[in-house]
Amino acid sequence: MEDEGRRTKDQRPQTKDQGLKTQDHGLRTQDHGLRDLAADIYTCNRTRCGFCREECPVYRLEGYETYSCRGKMLVARGLLEGTLQPSQALADALAACALCGYCQARCALQNVAIIEALRAELAAAGYAIPATQASVESLRTQGSIYGQVPEVTRQGTTPLYLGCLYRTKPQELNTALSVLERLGFDPLIAPEACCGYLAEATGFPADFALAQARFREVYEPYLEQEILTLCPTCTITLRDRYGLRAKHALVAVAERLADPAVAAKLDRNLLAGRRATYHDPCHLGRMLGVMEEPRAVLRVLGIELVEMPQNRYFSACCGGGGGLTQAHPKLSVEIGKNRVREAYATGVETIITACPTCQPTLLKAASRLANEIDTFVDVLDLWELLRQALEVSSQS
Amino acid sequence: MPSKEALPPATLAAVYDELKALLGERATTEPFHRLAYSRDWSPRPATEDHLPQIVVIPHTTDEVAAIVRLAYAHSVPVTPFAGGTGMGGGCIPLHGGILVDTKGLQQILELDQDNLTVTTQTGITIHKLNEELAKHGLWFPHQPESKRASTVGAAIGCDNDSTFGIRYGKILEVLSNLVVVTGTGEVLRVGWRKASVSSTGYKLLPLFVGSEGTLGVVTEATLRIYAIPATREVRGYVCRSLADGLAATERLLNAGLAIDSAHLNCRARLHFYTHTYRQQHGHEPDVPAWAEAVLFVSFAGDQDVVQFSLAKAQAILSGEYHAEEIKEREIVDSWWASKHLVEFIPFKQKWPDSQRQKKFGAADLGLPFGRIEEAYHRFLDIAARWEQDVLGMTVYNESPNKVSPSISFAVFVDDTTPESAAKFHGYLREMSTMAVEMEGTMSSYIGDGDRLVGLNALEHGPSLAYMRRIKAMFDPKGIMNPGKKFAPD
Repeated sequence: MEDEGRRTKDQRPQTKDQGLKTQDHGLRTQDHGLRDLAADIYTCNRTRCGFCREECPVYRLEGYETYSCRGKMLVARGLLEGTLQPSQALADALAACALCGYCQARCALQNVAIIEALRAELAAAGYAIPATQASVESLRTQGSIYGQVPEVTRQGTTPLYLGCLYRTKPQELNTALSVLERLGFDPLIAPEACCGYLAEATGFPADFALAQARFREVYEPYLEQEILTLCPTCTITLRDRYGLRAKHALVAVAERLADPAVAAKLDRNLLAGRRATYHDPCHLGRMLGVMEEPRAVLRVLGIELVEMPQNRYFSACCGGGGGLTQAHPKLSVEIGKNRVREAYATGVETIITACPTCQPTLLKAASRLANEIDTFVDVLDLWELLRQALEVSSQS
Repeated sequence: MPSKEALPPATLAAVYDELKALLGERATTEPFHRLAYSRDWSPRPATEDHLPQIVVIPHTTDEVAAIVRLAYAHSVPVTPFAGGTGMGGGCIPLHGGILVDTKGLQQILELDQDNLTVTTQTGITIHKLNEELAKHGLWFPHQPESKRASTVGAAIGCDNDSTFGIRYGKILEVLSNLVVVTGTGEVLRVGWRKASVSSTGYKLLPLFVGSEGTLGVVTEATLRIYAIPATREVRGYVCRSLADGLAATERLLNAGLAIDSAHLNCRARLHFYTHTYRQQHGHEPDVPAWAEAVLFVSFAGDQDVVQFSLAKAQAILSGEYHAEEIKEREIVDSWWASKHLVEFIPFKQKWPDSQRQKKFGAADLGLPFGRIEEAYHRFLDIAARWEQDVLGMTVYNESPNKVSPSISFAVFVDDTTPESAAKFHGYLREMSTMAVEMEGTMSSYIGDGDRLVGLNALEHGPSLAYMRRIKAMFDPKGIMNPGKKFAPD
């Protein structure tokens, strides 16, 4: 039993002269396998500060060190040195991560890239998660992780990339489009291909490469332009992994609403004085750095913002990212419930967010939590609030 | 690395079955889980690890007691693990066996605001405990720099340092009672409940402070807490010598000031603590060439008292010791962020960023304060002899209201190979020997771990035999964290 799953070490790591450039934040900009990330793995190995651990949303629930990034770094070392063998149990444990990047914000290493590389090692060894594998298979064969998604197009002047999730949500998409149009944008919606984020996040770099190629082919006319985006995950993938000038549409909206004449288009009485908290989506907030713009928009709407203890760079995840909902749905809901609890503890009963993953994930968690706390904490989409304010304004 | 005394498969299987029955998913033999507990922050070769054979996460004292009783019955080693940030190897399961992850002991059991005590399970981090206390306007002053990860139990087990030691002391000063599961699985209450002092019996409570899990697993603690001060002000002064810096600190105390924190750094050490400053400004902080030491002091309390204290301190430091206040606020803030707030620029946290090539390693000596200059120069010589790059020296003061040097003599350790890592241990041995020669102690905040095993006789002499007897009383089979503190008889 003692040595089950472990092999004898066969080589000593080279820790010098392997300095990889660490980014400020966001996703990596280069492809790295686990071995390419050895310098960071050994840096953690010799540090062990554990600052990443305590507030990791998965570690909080699961308990074992392996569920924290610090623990995963030792697992990575074991795989690098050949002292640990891949297994399905390990693949399951590594899939229990939302890739929310909290650990990376408390660190200076490429934590998210290392976790993705770990998943890729396991998948390459034949240990994948069936549910995520099915999503990637769908991406490979049907061009989207959600199977066939409707094609949406619109004539316009400013490229707007919707992403698969918004294309499966016509109501939410129409809401966002309505806001953009009323604020004077003229979105150009062209045929799209999936950004492929989930393939890379869950350990399928070859499928991600395929998705990239397909995206570049389909979206070729707009690659040199600034592209507005709706989904935070697509935004960061396009920006960091594709090297495109992707700009989340909320940033553009906030810029426009900074003009008092534009802000006057909103009905500021509709939501005035309503107390709510804002949930920073991980990709939009700590990774893209879009933290103040949504708050500025909410202030324009007259909402009284109450901050949760974990906000901005150190916001807590909703539980919906990184393939977690597919691999560990119950865990995903529990993470969401913890976030809703945090919101409720601030004394508000409304969470506002701006992500097509966070909003339904938190809403589901809030529903499950309602019996426990005897309160339903509503989870609203910022685009929807904007739509209402603009619509009421235009009617009046 | 294989355990030194790997359990026979039949014993392991029998113990594991019982633990699964007791704890369910909170007991595991998965290799990857075991690997994740194989190291702490202590300098050792990069590829060295020591795996437990079983990891358990108990939630209650009763569960810990059941685990240890089982281990005792089968003579299985038990290693308590808490924050995993120790620099002495204290939580590394050198002999395999059962690793008890104490982080499952998270509950605050009683907040007694009338008596300003909190009774808590010991797996809560000090940071988290303070977050909870802050909701009531209270705080727990024992605050090591590792507090985001290290726990109340770790503070008791390791007897680590505190930013506010010069006012509140170390954990023993604010610990009045604990519950420990001894090496037989007996649950024992030790201490004076919520009283701050006692003159009865023999004082068993201090035995467990710094015992590093070798006498048992401490599961609950009663701690003295305080009202959060209305205000706190931090100042930095450049001093003409280390001796001046310490003498000035003693003078501030003699003047009647209640110093909240006082840390004295050599120039090299300041560099380590101004990581945030460099990140923000892109250059080194400007410190006069003549300055040999940098003293940071803080005062906390009511606004008028703090302002008076600052003015008095300024008069003494500049008037009597010719020290100069650091005017650039960012240098002081950078120090305080690093030392107390433990908040860094997102994605640029100091610790991993500073360890990319070599790791932090320290000899932590307690020395009489009049020999600080001599100690510093010997430190530089010894580090050079063992080819250790000097990271620098910080003098902490860890006893209330007196200059009480607990000194970190830190170096950057090349952990690439066993040979290069062994040079650090050569350095550590020579520094430890120096401590005894200089009428001090080999460790003042890290503890023995496995790094001082073999050296303790030099410090403790014949009294070491009594320590062994104490160990045997609480842990007759020697199953509690074997391989730590001192070698077996």
